Amino acid sequence: MAAILSIRNLTKRFGGLVAVNRLSLEVEELSIASLIGPNGAGKTTVFNCITGFYTPEEGSIVFQGREIQGRSPDRVTSQGIARTYQNIRLFANMTAIENILVGQHPLLKTGWLQAVLHTPGYHHEEEQSLAEALRLLEFVGLAKQGDALANSLAYAAQRRLEIARALASSPKIILLDEPTAGMSPKETADATGFIKRLRDELGITVLLIEHDMHVVMGISENITVLDYGSKIAEGKAKQIQNDPLVVEAYLGRGTASGLEKSEVGPEANSSAETKPKGRGR
Amino acid sequence: MRTSLSGLRPALAAFAIILYLNLVGFPLKFGSVAIWVFAAVLFLISFIVSRRAAASSPALILTKSLIIGLVPSLGLALLTYIFASMQASQITVQDVFAQILPPHTAALTGLTSEQVIAGESVVPGLFSLVLILTSAAVLGGGLSLLPYEKLKSLQGEKTQGFRSTLPLLIPLLLFAAYLSLRLPSVELFDSQENKFGLLLLYVFFGSSLYALRTIPQGRLKTAFLIVAVLATIAVPLLNDQLQNSVLGFVVVFIIMGIGLNIVVGFAGLLDLGYVAFFAVGAYSYGLLSSPTSWILVNVPGFEGISFWAGLPIAIVLGLMAGILLGVPVLRLRGDYLAIVTLGFGEIIRLILLNLREYTDGPSGVRGIPTPYLFGHDLGNPRDLLYLAMAFAAVVTFVALRLRDSRIGRSWVAMREDERVAQAMGINLVSTKLLAFAFGAVFASLSGTLYAVRQVNVFPDNFALDVSINVLALIIIGGIGSIEGVVIGAIALIGLPEILRSVNEYRVVAFGALLVAMMAFRPEGLLPSLRRKRELHVEETETLPRRKKVAK
Repeated sequence: MAAILSIRNLTKRFGGLVAVNRLSLEVEELSIASLIGPNGAGKTTVFNCITGFYTPEEGSIVFQGREIQGRSPDRVTSQGIARTYQNIRLFANMTAIENILVGQHPLLKTGWLQAVLHTPGYHHEEEQSLAEALRLLEFVGLAKQGDALANSLAYAAQRRLEIARALASSPKIILLDEPTAGMSPKETADATGFIKRLRDELGITVLLIEHDMHVVMGISENITVLDYGSKIAEGKAKQIQNDPLVVEAYLGRGTASGLEKSEVGPEANSSAETKPKGRGR
Repeated sequence: MRTSLSGLRPALAAFAIILYLNLVGFPLKFGSVAIWVFAAVLFLISFIVSRRAAASSPALILTKSLIIGLVPSLGLALLTYIFASMQASQITVQDVFAQILPPHTAALTGLTSEQVIAGESVVPGLFSLVLILTSAAVLGGGLSLLPYEKLKSLQGEKTQGFRSTLPLLIPLLLFAAYLSLRLPSVELFDSQENKFGLLLLYVFFGSSLYALRTIPQGRLKTAFLIVAVLATIAVPLLNDQLQNSVLGFVVVFIIMGIGLNIVVGFAGLLDLGYVAFFAVGAYSYGLLSSPTSWILVNVPGFEGISFWAGLPIAIVLGLMAGILLGVPVLRLRGDYLAIVTLGFGEIIRLILLNLREYTDGPSGVRGIPTPYLFGHDLGNPRDLLYLAMAFAAVVTFVALRLRDSRIGRSWVAMREDERVAQAMGINLVSTKLLAFAFGAVFASLSGTLYAVRQVNVFPDNFALDVSINVLALIIIGGIGSIEGVVIGAIALIGLPEILRSVNEYRVVAFGALLVAMMAFRPEGLLPSLRRKRELHVEETETLPRRKKVAK
């Protein structure tokens, strides 16, 4: 299948620090891809470059055949890229429905004059967007909490609301930054199933950053591993688990050589790699 | 220990309110009636505070209300005593005090001004003042102990409808009283101006707003809205010239406040130079119409334009000024934005002051003509008030519609988190400029109305303090809330205006009121509901727990 998003030789520097170093990455349409790596590896920086928060120094980001690097975030979003944040960034003092309505912004067309005059077109659009917001709330399982303020929702519900808000702009691809961080095993399992539904039911390509290896290995078709801003491995879950460079990145130099190949199985990996879960960048 | 401390907080708030009423000149204008107003204030505060803590024991509540009564009354008595002693020993701080103090002290102590000047002891009078105020507070605390709860639970849901309509009746009754009695014949100090009527009017406005906010959507609300609108339309007919003039001033500030509320309250862009757009509106109409203006003198055959032609021009120029300021400050946020806009406000004033050939510098623009409507001269306080009210209605309507639309949502989203709002597809440039533009247009409109009302305008009318006043009134009213702007304008512009003789106090009163507000009710008098929840999250969370403990 064709790549919906392809990144070539992306480099982002902060002063002397090279946060992302000549990264190339392809995300196939209708796939679930993962970006993993130890804390500070530059994963969120990649997201910020894609969504226009950062302008990369070098390289190109091509989305659906168009170069989008250096464009402002609002224009990137209008192209069909939506995202969530590692530390939830909802509009805390707006209600759940209002959050989703804001998410629909690029789809709505009415200007201030129509809003003041309440033209039939405005009414129609507002009604439609409200219905769409309710549908999305239903989809993420928050149908009863529409009028609750975003910051009064439970943690897992806030994560879901953030995804619903991202979905509101009808994206082609959604970038999820650690969607299960801080969740209980039960909540994590729910969230994993939910991410799968995004692709299967809504037909949205998913690119996620994740520390929980059960989630990553369970749902992603393609995994890219970053360390110090560079890609050190890429491939299917099995290949990644057995890659010595990956093990070294997570456990430290010299560990991989000391381990027998057979020991670096799924169990060894998952227990080791869930460890650095935390508040990295 | 803890309970006495918890009584101290409302006591200090009560003291701040009493102080404010004193500073705006209540005793001076209302004579000994002021004491009873203070007593009523303390009674209410004590009653409300005690009702909230209904679970405590009677002894505790009475102690608390005693504190609520004693702290403000003793504070007031002490201050009065100090000033009276200064007066008696011929110490004059400022001339204005020498004029104001004797009648002020006299009003509070039951003496006459002459007696105070003669140095008669104020102690007995102050003693009775403390006694009256403290007993009012204790009475409030005592009445709160009556078993209202039982009454409620007995009648249950049957009284629900009645209780929800009760707030409606208060403003209606007050308005009826205002209409039938008109109360102007109460002889006050030096004039027969209908000040009680005006005060009642304020109470009416305030409580009808309150009623509108507490009643849910429905036929009742619509009915009440119609009554309120009709009443508002009738008010200027019943007022005298002074009252209409004061209200006209209030309405000009309401229009400005609603504009600034869009910029600061909705979009979160702190603009301290808002007066600039006000000045642009006033001067553009003034310069195009005043017979003394440079344009009319130097352009042969140009007779000046009418109000209705000048208004759109003033609005367009205001819009241009708004965009002119908006573009360079697009990238600025918070403190930096405040400083830059502050400078912009001053620049406009200094240009008006120093561009003498064109603006006449400090002599200002004089003789600005009044508007005509179908050949009818609107140049009297009542018609000008109607004109301003009509524009205020339009501005309020536009602001409400915008608030509830996609534009309003993107403003609030931008205030909440600018980067995320941008990532939601919101174009920050156009959204910010739209907020600045609406703010500037509304300010320019109110500036034009101000010019028409004042007839002569001078650069000093557009100093920094106007910006501060408007900002203060939207903060006092409740930032982001349109009803709050109305209440804020009445409290900060209207009340000091009817008590104009003590104008010099206003700045002090502002300070005191702002400090008290920020300490006790940071969200303002009538906050937008969203704001309120935002600022009192902790309290609403702990409230149910307290109730459980009480049971």
